[in-house]
Formats: sequence, C-alpha cells, structure tokens
Amino acid sequence: MTNSRSTLSLLLPVIIGSMLGGLSLYYLNDKDEKLDLEKLALGDETSSQFSQFMGVPVHCEDIDDAYQCIDGYKKYSNNNVILWLGNSQLHSINQMKAGDETASSILHRCMKSYSKYNMTFSQPNAGLQEHYVLFEYISRQLPISTLVLPVVFDDMRETGIRSSLLGIFSDLYVVDQLKVSEIGKLLLKNNGDKDSAGNDIAALDKTVQENSERYLNEKLKSFWQIWADRPALRGRLFVSLYKLRNWAFGINPSSTRKMMPARYTMNLQALEAILTSAIEKDIEVLLYIVPLRSDVKVPYDLVQYNKFKVKIRDVAQKFDVKFKNYEKLVPTKNWGTKESTTLNGDQEIDFMHFQAGGHKLLASALCKELKDIDRAERRK
Amino acid sequence: MIFNSLTYLTLLFTVVILYWVLPYRSRLILILTASLTFYGFWRVEFLPVMLISVVADYFVALKMPQASHRLKKKLLLTSLIVNLGLLFYFKYLIFFAENAIGLSNLMGVEIDPLALNIILPLGISFYTFQTISYTVDVYRGLIKPEKDFVLFACYVTFFPQLVAGPVLRSIEVIHQFAKRPPFLWSDIVIGIRRILYGLFLKVVLADNIAPIVDTGYSMPLDAMSALDVWTLAFLFGFQIYFDFSAYSHIALGSARLMGIKFPENFNFPYLATSPKDFWRRWHISLSSWIRDYLYLPLSGIKVQRVRSTGGLSDATLKRKNIVLLSTWAIMGLWHGANWVFILWGLYHAIVIIVYRLLLPLINSFSNNIKMIGGIFFTLPIMMLSWIPFRSESLDMAISMWAKVFNPYLYDSLGMRENAYLVTAVILVGVVAVYWIKHQLIPSLDPKGYLLVLGEVATFTIMFSLVIVFFRPINQFIYFQF
Repeated sequence: MTNSRSTLSLLLPVIIGSMLGGLSLYYLNDKDEKLDLEKLALGDETSSQFSQFMGVPVHCEDIDDAYQCIDGYKKYSNNNVILWLGNSQLHSINQMKAGDETASSILHRCMKSYSKYNMTFSQPNAGLQEHYVLFEYISRQLPISTLVLPVVFDDMRETGIRSSLLGIFSDLYVVDQLKVSEIGKLLLKNNGDKDSAGNDIAALDKTVQENSERYLNEKLKSFWQIWADRPALRGRLFVSLYKLRNWAFGINPSSTRKMMPARYTMNLQALEAILTSAIEKDIEVLLYIVPLRSDVKVPYDLVQYNKFKVKIRDVAQKFDVKFKNYEKLVPTKNWGTKESTTLNGDQEIDFMHFQAGGHKLLASALCKELKDIDRAERRK
Repeated sequence: MIFNSLTYLTLLFTVVILYWVLPYRSRLILILTASLTFYGFWRVEFLPVMLISVVADYFVALKMPQASHRLKKKLLLTSLIVNLGLLFYFKYLIFFAENAIGLSNLMGVEIDPLALNIILPLGISFYTFQTISYTVDVYRGLIKPEKDFVLFACYVTFFPQLVAGPVLRSIEVIHQFAKRPPFLWSDIVIGIRRILYGLFLKVVLADNIAPIVDTGYSMPLDAMSALDVWTLAFLFGFQIYFDFSAYSHIALGSARLMGIKFPENFNFPYLATSPKDFWRRWHISLSSWIRDYLYLPLSGIKVQRVRSTGGLSDATLKRKNIVLLSTWAIMGLWHGANWVFILWGLYHAIVIIVYRLLLPLINSFSNNIKMIGGIFFTLPIMMLSWIPFRSESLDMAISMWAKVFNPYLYDSLGMRENAYLVTAVILVGVVAVYWIKHQLIPSLDPKGYLLVLGEVATFTIMFSLVIVFFRPINQFIYFQF
C-alpha cells in the first residue's frame, strides 16, 4: 500500500494529524478552568470539603496529605483519636451553601468536649481493602481508641489499592501487620512490589534510565504546560468515556448495580481483618451501614442488599463490635442531586452524597454512639 | 532502555541525525555505540554477557569454512555451549535446581532450597537465538561468515531489535548494513508512522488494558466464573498482542529511520483461520526460527530439501508428533523458566495435532465456510492458551481452564462491567481495523482525498492520545523473556 503512494501523501497526514492532535490537547486543557480530578469526578453540584479545626486539618484523603492531619494532631493534642474511614460521602456536600460543613467537622467538635480527637480519612469509592491498609498505616502513628467504619454496598464492588495509597506498602510495620491475614497477603502480593504513588516511570525502577527519564520529564514539563497537565487530561478523558458509556447503555444512578461475588468476598475478608486487627490493638469499633436515599427505588438488587445488611450485622456480632444501621437516617429533604453522569447533561438524583442537613444528622448520630462507647470505656 | 520513554526518543533522534551525516564506517561505530548505550541504560553490568555471545560466535563462525567436518562440529558445539550455557545459567538454573530439589525431597532425600538470586539479562533469549542461527547457518554452508567484527556486532546488538526481537537472521540484515543504504525521505516517513502506531498500541491500548487484567487475575479463584475466565483470556490476549506488536512496530520503525528493513513480526494473528495459520501471523520471526533450527532438524528433515519440496513426508506421523510436542515444550520454556510456559507450549502442540487429524474433514467444506468457521474456532482456542501464559502456577492455570468446561459456572460475572465491555469493544475494533486495512483502503483511490482525510483523522487521534498516555509505566511483556 505504502509503496504505491508518494512520500508527500504519506507525510501530510502525519504532519496535519500531529498539528490537529496538538491543538485538540490545547483546547481540552482549558486554561481558565483549574483541572481538579476530584471535582471532575463529582461534578459541579457536589462540593468536596476536607475540614480543618482552628486551621489544623482534621480530614485528609490519602498518604499524600496524611502527614498534615497527623502532624497537626501531634502538635496540638494528646487526646485519644477516633479514626473515621470512609468514601466520598464524608467529604462531599450536595448543593453546598456558605457555612455548610461536613459531618467530620461537626463530629470533631462534638468529640472534643469528650477529650477525643476525631480524624477522618476518605477517598472516592474507597473499598474495605483500602481501609484495611490505611488503618494499619495510621494506627501505628496515632493513639487510636475508636475506629468508625462505614460499610457501603456500592463499595463492596471495589477492589485493589489506588496509587495514592501504594506508598504504604513500603512501611515494614504495615507489611508485617498485613501478613497476618489471607487478604493482607493477597494485597501484598498484588501491590507489594509496586512503586510509590503516581509513579509514571515505574517500569524504569532501579535502572540507569530512571534518572535520565526523570530529568527529561521535568525539563519537558517546565516548558510545555500540556506535558505537566497530562494526569488531569487523562482523568478528563476517562470521565468522558465513563459518560459516553452511561449514555450509550442508558446507565444512570438508579440503574441496578449487582454484587460482584469475588470482590464482595475479598471486601468481607478485609472487613474481618480490620476488626481482628482493631481488637488486637484494643481499639473499639463502631460499624455502620451508610445512609441511603429512600424516596426512590434503591439501585441495588434488593435480595443481595438485604443479605449484605444481615451479613454485616452478623460480622459485627461475631467480633462483638458496635453496629448501627443508618440507611434511613437521612430524610428525603436532605438528599440532593448531582451533575449528569451521561452526555445528556440532565441533573441526576444522588444516592451517595447528601446536603449539609444530612451531614448534621450523621454527625449527631455518630456523636451519640461514640459518647456511649466513651462512657463504657471509662467504666472499664 | 524502554521504547516508550523520552530517553529512547532522544537517543533515537540523535542517532538518526548522526547516522545520515556520518561517513559509512563511522555509521557502524555509531550503531554499535548506540546499541551498547541502549543496553547499558538498563544494567551496564550485563553488557559483557552479551559481548561474550557476540565475540564467541564471531570467531567460531570465522574458523568454520577452513575447518574439517569434525572440527566444524566441534566449533558448532562450542557456540551452542556458550550461548545455551549463558541462557541456562541466567534463565533456567534456578528452575531446574528447584525442580531437582523438589524431586529429591519427594523421593525422601532432603535437600535445603538454594538461595540463588540470578537476574535475567534483558533480551538474552533473543540475542542468543540470533547468534545461534548465524553460526548454524554458517555451519550448514547457507551463508559465509562475516569478517568485519563491527558489522557482525551491529547485526547482533542493533538496538531497535535487541531486547525483544524480531529474531533476525544474518541473511536478512548484515547485507543491509554492508551496502550503506541511501537516504530516502520515504524511509523516514514510514519509520515515523510505524513508531507512532507502536506507541499508540503500547501506551494507549496495552498499558490501559493491563490494570484490568491484573485486577482480574488477582481475584480469588473460587469467585471466578467461566465467563470471567473467558474474558480474562481474551483481555490478556489483546494486551500481549498490542504490547508485543507495539514493540515490533517501534523496532521496525526505528530501523527504517536508518534505512534498514526488518521482516514483519505480526499479521492480524487473531484473524487466523487455523492454529497453523496463527503461527504464520504471530511472532513470525520466532516461529520460523523454531521451525528451521529446532523442529526440522529434530524431524530429520534437511532445511534445503524442505524449502524445495515444502513437505515433511519422510517423517513418520508418530515421530512428527513427538517432535512437535518436544519443540513446543522448548518453545514454551524459551518464554520462561516455569511449568506454566511448558503447559502453554504443549497446549499449542496438542491443538496442532488435533487440527492435523481434523484436516480431511475441514477440507471437505467450502473455502468460505473454512475461512469464517476457521476464525470462529481458532480465536477462542488461541485465546485460551493465554490462561497458563498469564497464570502464576500450574494449579491456577488448570483451575481456570476447568471452569471453562463447567456449564454451571456460566451464571455470574465477577468483574466490573467495564472489563466485559472493553473486551467486546476491542474485539470489534480488531475486526474493524482488519476490514479497513484489507477491504476499505485498497478500494480507495491512493491519490484521493478520502484516504488522506481518513489518515489525518487517525493520526490526530493517535498523536493526541500518545501524548496524553506516553509514560514508561509498564515494561514490555516480552522483556521478561
């Protein structure tokens, strides 16, 4: 084919295509809009808020910012820590207004009067395997007295460890802790040799090329903004593909999400591993099923969802930890809408994130239970 | 050095400019220096290992023409001992030692496990096969030994093909280095196009399929359904195809920038109409190497004769099958020192034997049915072969295969919906690209605007995606072999 064509006709598509490709990247990398992957994933209707108390971060995301929360605690407090792990429900507020705050902020204030320091970690779609790894990492650094652990049916479909948590696997203490459980061993096997967070040159690890590649990348980033913004461009591309898929297959937040047996099993194993580890460390646990929107049909297979609730309650009983089912805690009025997850642009009901009123209710319910736990602790 | 890196592109750009500027002799020195630099950027301490193979085969081959038949045999043996010895030490010693210890322990003789830590030099399976083929060809009298050491060293170490092929024959390359290729703009353009194709396949497709495959394979086996196994087989099949064919595209493109033409290594293998056809389309250079230097000699067929008659009629069926099984077991072992690769090889041998048995029946159908039915049956059979290839143990591979044949395990899906969707989209994409390349494009006017517009659109998408995803986040899969 190529032999029958002139060099120019072979060259032109490459040159024009490269120019158009470059221009399209400039167009996508809109300069006026700050690229924020978190915002991109949640949409305009849902705001993220990682709370601070007196200027000290008390709500962090992963190990990239964990030091802020941990250092803040070490500087200003010696109270026992209540560690709250969760997903984006903890840091997202729908239709946020000035003065609105998340449950983590309210709970921190509430527990302060009981000489406890509430610290929250949450990541979008965080699964129990990630909670397990993060719990082991943080529990070594802070005097945790209570672990608050939400269990989300949606997140039982998640598996693996996100790149921003991979650095934890280089902590030998965590490695030793994970080796105790089967799921921990599996996590170590699948992630133990991966390089630290967000390493774009992982394939060059421990080679001479690692240095030259790092140098060239930095140089290119310094005089070509597109190169520096590529992670955000990748994120934007994946969000577009996600919306395209939803549009093509008519998927929306109300579409039924089925349980995935393999992941469900692994996450249950992770839950049991967390509880075993917490009990060994003499840490009290409050396990709860997260609030769920109840004015419309839940997006789950009801048989599977009911079995899930029973299972979590049974696990809590087996380990003798406190269990609460908060699925009906937040009334309809406190739930909101979110930006479209398809290409048509209509707003959609949000099953996961609520408005500020929902955060108040959740914080209040948790505060009450944590006070009970504290009273019981003091009696011991 | 890894192809999908800024370091490689910088090296390639510099070498290509200098190559066309420098006089002939200096070009060869440049290629050799660049090749050693390319290799040294991985681990400089393994350069001497590669050079041992180069020097040994250069001198062994040089001695052969004047040597007696007996001495020639000894020289050939020397080459085989050096090359296979290096390969054995670095690639197979631990495997054989562990298996020997395991066997001894089974027989009641307790031996402690060895604490060996041997790093596998990058590309050793490729360059040793290349030097062996050279010496064997000289021994067979098919080629004359190369007297110019630098030229010979360039053939073995030429950086575009050094670590993952294609496995080149000296007859295909040395004469191209020797005759000083003229500068042609068409070579440069074709080279750039091939490199872009390759980068697209690697950084956009293979590297984005990899996490889905990794996640799938990390699932507990008990929770995996038959549909999950099929999906993983197809997904990994696509991943390794894109990954390896990407390497070949970049290798061919890089060499072409210097006016050197390599033979093609892939030709839409997943649209093969039979298992035999698959191996004419997948890793073509290795398949033909194995045929010429292992299968035919073991079958007792002389290469020249086969080339002239194209048949294997002298070999008995039984012997043919035994040789086929052994050849494929070795082919499997070439890929890695693990039983899963041997199982992979044996699977292919059995598939070919069954195919041969069914050939009279297959030939009774019309050509259209043979073609469509051939693709329909060959594709899943070939994809299933990737199960042991990707598995960590024999147990895992066999358990996964067993699920495929259990009709009760077709009732659930264990992975994210995206995994099945991506598999389906890629399958349709591969067929569509084949149709575009073999049906649509030949029907268009080569000087017409439609072809150019189509290519502009293709390169716009490819270029922007390559920029966004370009990063050496994953090694090429074949680097481990």
